[in-house]
Amino acid sequence: MVRLRLAYAGMHPDRVASLRDRFGSIERVVAAIERRAIKVPERAREAVLVDAATRRRELSARGIAAVERAGLPPHLSELPDGPELLFVKGDLPVRPGVAVVGARRATSYGLRLARRYGYALAEAGWPVVSGLARGIDGAAHHGVLDAGGIGVAVLGSGIDVWYPAEHRQLGERLLAAGGAVVSEYPPGTPPVGWRFPPRNRIISGLAAVVVVVEATPTGGALITAKRALEQGREVFAVPGDVDRATSTGCNLLIRDGAVPVLDPDDLVEAASLVLGPARPQAALSVDTPVAGLIGTIGSTIDELALASGLSIAQIQEEVSRLELAGIVAREGDVVRKR
Amino acid sequence: MFASVTSVALVGIDPSPVDVEVHVGGPKDVFSIVGLPDTAVRESKHRVKAALASSGHALPQRRITVNLAPANLPKVGPAYDLPIAMAVLMALGTVPKGETVVSLGELALDGSVRPVRGGLAAGILARALGAPCLLSAADAGRAAAVSDAHVRGVRSLNEAVGVLTGAVEGVVPEPMRLGRSEDVPDLADVHGQASARRGLEIAAAGAHHLLMWGPPGAGKTMLARRLPGILPPLEANEVLEVLQIYDTAGRAAPTSLPPFRSPHHTATTPALIGGGSGLPTPGEISLAHRGVLFLDELGEFPPSTLEALRQPIEAGVVDIARQGFAVRFPATVQLVAATNPCPCGFRGDRTKPCTCSTPTVDRYRKRLSGPLLDRFDLRVTVARPDREGLVGPPGEPSSTVAARVASARQAQAARGVINGRLTRSQLDDLPWTTSARRLAEQAIDRLGLTGRGYDRVRRVARTIADLDGSHDTDERHMLEALGVRSSW
Repeated sequence: MVRLRLAYAGMHPDRVASLRDRFGSIERVVAAIERRAIKVPERAREAVLVDAATRRRELSARGIAAVERAGLPPHLSELPDGPELLFVKGDLPVRPGVAVVGARRATSYGLRLARRYGYALAEAGWPVVSGLARGIDGAAHHGVLDAGGIGVAVLGSGIDVWYPAEHRQLGERLLAAGGAVVSEYPPGTPPVGWRFPPRNRIISGLAAVVVVVEATPTGGALITAKRALEQGREVFAVPGDVDRATSTGCNLLIRDGAVPVLDPDDLVEAASLVLGPARPQAALSVDTPVAGLIGTIGSTIDELALASGLSIAQIQEEVSRLELAGIVAREGDVVRKR
Repeated sequence: MFASVTSVALVGIDPSPVDVEVHVGGPKDVFSIVGLPDTAVRESKHRVKAALASSGHALPQRRITVNLAPANLPKVGPAYDLPIAMAVLMALGTVPKGETVVSLGELALDGSVRPVRGGLAAGILARALGAPCLLSAADAGRAAAVSDAHVRGVRSLNEAVGVLTGAVEGVVPEPMRLGRSEDVPDLADVHGQASARRGLEIAAAGAHHLLMWGPPGAGKTMLARRLPGILPPLEANEVLEVLQIYDTAGRAAPTSLPPFRSPHHTATTPALIGGGSGLPTPGEISLAHRGVLFLDELGEFPPSTLEALRQPIEAGVVDIARQGFAVRFPATVQLVAATNPCPCGFRGDRTKPCTCSTPTVDRYRKRLSGPLLDRFDLRVTVARPDREGLVGPPGEPSSTVAARVASARQAQAARGVINGRLTRSQLDDLPWTTSARRLAEQAIDRLGLTGRGYDRVRRVARTIADLDGSHDTDERHMLEALGVRSSW
């Protein structure tokens, strides 16, 4: 129960870990804070003094569980740098999942792929773990929802603070679909920059396989990939143009030994070696040549016309037919399989 | 001693006769102008007196009264100098009072005649009255553009006197023609962009208002500028309307293709709609009459401006009410608007990241989605050209596309309504195949088409059927129309 009290201090996870090593146990760290042997802000000390039972009552009234290290899934609790406690909304899956991570500032190429991978992995029956940020994170979770799968969002803010605010709905839909939202920071913690990098070790920790969709060389996604390698996870990366900043991170990972993934099936097959066989999926009923072309990552009307040799009019007709049948969706002039 | 010369006031683009009456009599040396003159007309007396003196016509020490009738019509600008001077000379007996003469022109102090607005209108009035027409040499060509009017250009007041007395012939004008259309850009210059080209063709064939959607630099403006080149050429009566509007605005004649106007988003509402101080002048929407009004960066236009455009676009005319009178300018335009998908322009782009947050994009789109957005039957996406698009083979030339557009327009002419203006009940009465009807119902259910969205899809489907040479609108036509629907 001391871990719950300590969590309310809102300290940097690295500091918690180093104090724990110095004092020998979390219990002793808390005791040291109580007698002011450790310098923390007075407000943090007062937060630690509130007894755990009160905290639990507050949390359960709001539908939030607090899971201490020992109660976390083994793939997370066994990590030396794993969190001492997680606040959890929804059902945290027991089995490891696949993390889909990438840049917040993503191109539509990355966004479409992230959604596609989120979809394919969820459809294979694995939990999909990501942040809840703009860009790749959000797109991956949208893909999970498209497939009706389980998504886990790891926040860098307090568990009751939606950031960005526009992703509240996405988070709530994940929960409604049986997924989970987790954070190691106490409720009310604002989204501050330094809280996000430590969070990435939880994303990779909850997964056995990490796929980086689109990343700059300096972004948080590469931190996640690094932590994942330290944790012994399999790291995959989606290659991109070599002259585009938004692809450099992924291409560097591939150069340094990450496995390149070329399409969702490729990834599902590779991940099944780690996670066990994928759930067999119902194949889409694809009976027209155009539908076959739309398959993987989406194409523009012009590209479909070039690839099929049909006229724009014929392509538009075919795509509208598929759209009415619910097989594809239009986004501007880009058509992708749902 | 009394004399009168006919002149012209412009009410909207139509000429209205103004009788310039002069009375010379009474002992006092006074020169007065009455009949709702504006400042420029009131100053006319100084120019007229100086020009008469410079031309060797001394004025008597008598009261000279000039009346511009009817008095309730506003008279604006210096155009009445020449008719006033001529009427004065007639009243004094210097020039014989003959038949009716229509005249318009500004006088310089040395007696030379300067060009003014409304030359074409003077020609139209002269034709209607069967009267000869005297204008500055520069304006005479405009009046002569209206067939069979007896028009002479004069370079000076004395030349005008000479023409009236039969002493000289005056300048025989070269009738003004619309500018040649050689420099209008051709669709052959557009590489790739197959679906955008197809959208442009459909828009041209049915006179549908078109919304172009795409990142900066994709070629939206380039495509829009090529629309006049595939539209049917103007009919003779349409050419005259266009000439009248440009004459009223005091602008050079456009090309013989449908006009293309592209006002900037910082243009004021009067500049777009028409109006201004004094006698209202036509705005951009009227300058685009029978042609294309292109609004680039639609989202940057102030909502109030877009709101002001809505009604004229619907009605095809601009009504401007002023104290005591109202004018109406024609404004039948095909609206083409271009917009970025989001403020940074790169949402949906496959190679550049969009830096806008979702709420920003929502706000941006909400600003577009006023009642004006309802007017666009079609939306095409213009993608940034890839390598293929930049170096690929040239596209079809405008002439080939124009031929298909023309035949689709013929089918519409036979029905009596252009597709872009079909109303719901007219749409209901058109021939639809059973499968097309069934498909439309599916689209309403599954794609969430609204009633208006449904009408827009049907209008476009009809145009696609006309391009296809089909009597009935079929399922295939509906399907393609769904692909270019403007709702989102």
